[in-house]
Amino acid sequence: MKTTSIRRSLAHALLVWSLVSGAAVTTAVWLQANREVEELLDETLQNASQVMSTLLSQSDRVSPASPAVVSAKGERQNHFAWQLVMPDGQVRAGSAAAPKQALHATPSAGFSDVQGWRVFGRSVNSEGLMLYVAQTRDERHEAQAEVALSAVLAALGVGLLAYFWLRARIGHELVPLQRLSARLAVLEFDTPHPMGTAERSELQPVHDALDVLAARLSRRIANERAFSAHAAHSLRTPLAAIDAQLAVAAREAPVDLRPRLQRVRDAAGRLQRVVAALLALFRSGVDVQRQPVDLGSLLARMPLEGLRVQVTQGLSVSADPDLLAAALLNLLDNSARLHAGQVQIDSPSPNVLRIRDHGPGIAPQRRAQLQDAIDRQQHDGHTGLGLMLADHVARAHGGRLVLVDEGRGFVVELRLTHA
Amino acid sequence: MRLLLLEDDDLLGEGLRDFLRCDGHAVDWCRSLRDTVACRGEPYDGLLVDWQLPDGSGLDWLQEQRRRDDKTPALLLTARDRLADRILGLDSGADDYLVKPFAPEELAARLRAINRRRGGSAQPGLRFGHVEVDLSARSVRTQGMPVDLTAREWAVLEALVLRAGRIVPKPDLEKLVLGFDSALASNALEVHVSSLRRKLDRGLIETVRGLGYRVPR
Repeated sequence: MKTTSIRRSLAHALLVWSLVSGAAVTTAVWLQANREVEELLDETLQNASQVMSTLLSQSDRVSPASPAVVSAKGERQNHFAWQLVMPDGQVRAGSAAAPKQALHATPSAGFSDVQGWRVFGRSVNSEGLMLYVAQTRDERHEAQAEVALSAVLAALGVGLLAYFWLRARIGHELVPLQRLSARLAVLEFDTPHPMGTAERSELQPVHDALDVLAARLSRRIANERAFSAHAAHSLRTPLAAIDAQLAVAAREAPVDLRPRLQRVRDAAGRLQRVVAALLALFRSGVDVQRQPVDLGSLLARMPLEGLRVQVTQGLSVSADPDLLAAALLNLLDNSARLHAGQVQIDSPSPNVLRIRDHGPGIAPQRRAQLQDAIDRQQHDGHTGLGLMLADHVARAHGGRLVLVDEGRGFVVELRLTHA
Repeated sequence: MRLLLLEDDDLLGEGLRDFLRCDGHAVDWCRSLRDTVACRGEPYDGLLVDWQLPDGSGLDWLQEQRRRDDKTPALLLTARDRLADRILGLDSGADDYLVKPFAPEELAARLRAINRRRGGSAQPGLRFGHVEVDLSARSVRTQGMPVDLTAREWAVLEALVLRAGRIVPKPDLEKLVLGFDSALASNALEVHVSSLRRKLDRGLIETVRGLGYRVPR
């Protein structure tokens, strides 16, 4: 299952927020700046016309008979223009950048927009001579674009800065959570230590809950240990007694009775192994002590009557030897009970054991049922003790038990590692 | 071998006692620590000690024996099979550790192994002149030919061979062979010794007059 990371989801939210707020701020700034720029430039245009008209009315060098073209100097000559237009629509004078045609054919005072120009008109004298001062639209757009770019860059800069800073901050705030996880990973419930004060107040309830959990678990573990030790003693001693008594009886009995007594001893031996495995099962999950285990020597110590076991030469796995022995004993005991005769053990991949017997095997449908019961750990009435125990051992090692379909015999994979 | 069995379970204690007696060992069986007081100072070849006893810990008792400089080989019999328990048991003075349930045959084999090591030899076979004694296989050969011995004869031979070179006083040998339980006719030991001499070698067992018997190294 894919889990969500607090850090990632916060960072994601932060990024979205930064983008949205950046865009909003930029838009607001741009709109406002546009209006201000427009007003400022209009004011400049108006002032310029004022100055020019004053100059014109004072000098009165503007002779109606001599139209003139006056060159304006400076960089802005292409963006800025003026025209003197007579009442009949004839251009009397104008700057070089000004259009040849009159900006307005009929006198028009105040601001207006004409063919790419922003125009301010004003009458210069009582004869109806009009002065038009104009600025190109391009110039205005350029100024507005510059303002907008600066606004975007500023918003982007602030947004990114905030994003990275807050992201680092989130990471920093989550460190106590990581430290808590690290502590939990090595927490021993059989000797509980109080969690103490949390590094962050939000984590205190977790600490308190863990203390309660640890107390409950340690009580349970202590109870189970006591029960396990008691059960071990009260089961193991009578089993040893049965075997000792049978050994004596086999020696004292008449010869014809001895094979029967030996069979009783064999049955008692199987009972011993099951009990040993059950006790191991009962205890497992508390501590798995992995070490390299050589399968050959492990099996050499096992009583395997009526079963020939072939193991790949030098086969070794990393496992808890007692638990592995319990699992194998039970799987092999299953094979022996089904008169499999021969069992092969090999390793298809590291820390995976494949146990393949030459017995009758099981129907595919039954295998699927068993696998399902094993996967769901619903062992009641579905799986025998052997498979349950082997699965339990595999799970204690982080793996699981898999029933393999090879067409013949019963084949299981004891996976002693995370898949 | 003369063995002290410290086991509170009646069925197991009886079974082990009878099994080991069948093997020719003399077994004194104590059901509690209190019972062991009567056995203090007796010359045992091996101690078979249960850890959990009704009146205390067999392990504590064993440590007490070790503090008294009793070096008798001891085998701990217990239901505790944890690694930590096995280590604790061996560190507390046990020479071997057997987890219940166990087969009595294994117990007997381990006893033989302990005694072989105690005799200073890793080899199961010992040689005295023409006579070869294999303590593990419980077999004896003279001039290469196997010889059949009764359980009692074997017990006498084993007791003397394990103490080769030393004089074993007659009362001690009687106890070693028979334990407390069996009453013995006054000449029974002589009968076993003379039949051993006849079956094996005249010179194998020396009589040290007034003291006891000895198998010379």
